[in-house]
Amino acid sequence: MAEGETSAVAPARDSKSETMAFVVAAAGWLVPGLGHALLKMWGRAVVCFLTVGVLVMVGAGMRGNLFTSRGNDAFDSLGYIADLGTGSFYLVARSLEADGPDVSHADGDYGTRFLATAGVFNLLAALHAYEAARGRKA
Amino acid sequence: MMAHLPSIALKLSHLQALVLFALVIAIAFGFLGRRQPIERLKYILWTLLLFLLIGVGIGWAMYPFSH
Repeated sequence: MAEGETSAVAPARDSKSETMAFVVAAAGWLVPGLGHALLKMWGRAVVCFLTVGVLVMVGAGMRGNLFTSRGNDAFDSLGYIADLGTGSFYLVARSLEADGPDVSHADGDYGTRFLATAGVFNLLAALHAYEAARGRKA
Repeated sequence: MMAHLPSIALKLSHLQALVLFALVIAIAFGFLGRRQPIERLKYILWTLLLFLLIGVGIGWAMYPFSH
């Protein structure tokens, strides 16, 4: 009897923790570091926020190319996905680049990489928070 | 219509951009990848060193093709 109760309760608990893990991952993507903050991993939360913030600020300051959904080829689409990885910081980068991108110099090219790295890093951090919320070693 | 924040203009040399990128990413990887402070520090220093060595190494490897 006790065994039957345990097996009935366990899937419900698993489902709840899985939903929580998705919420943590989504929060971490939307606001860099928020996923880890929800798990009370304060150091990692601050570092994720600052890392994405610095990369976006520097990338936009160097007038890197911030891709949009109106790309011409597959590379533009990949760049857009990478840039979207920054979550809400995508809008910050757009509003920082008042004069638009300038990739005619090396600075702008570096800026493009900084922006893409910020997005990919944030996706990695969100995945890390997701795994931690599921109880995996993190 | 999106409101624009005051824009910042940055002019960095190749080496400055490389060092800044390596430092930021090394710290981030160290915090995500390790738990103990001493382990983090070792990981950060090691990652930073590799980033710089490989970056400068690739730069020198490409040098002959720039002429």
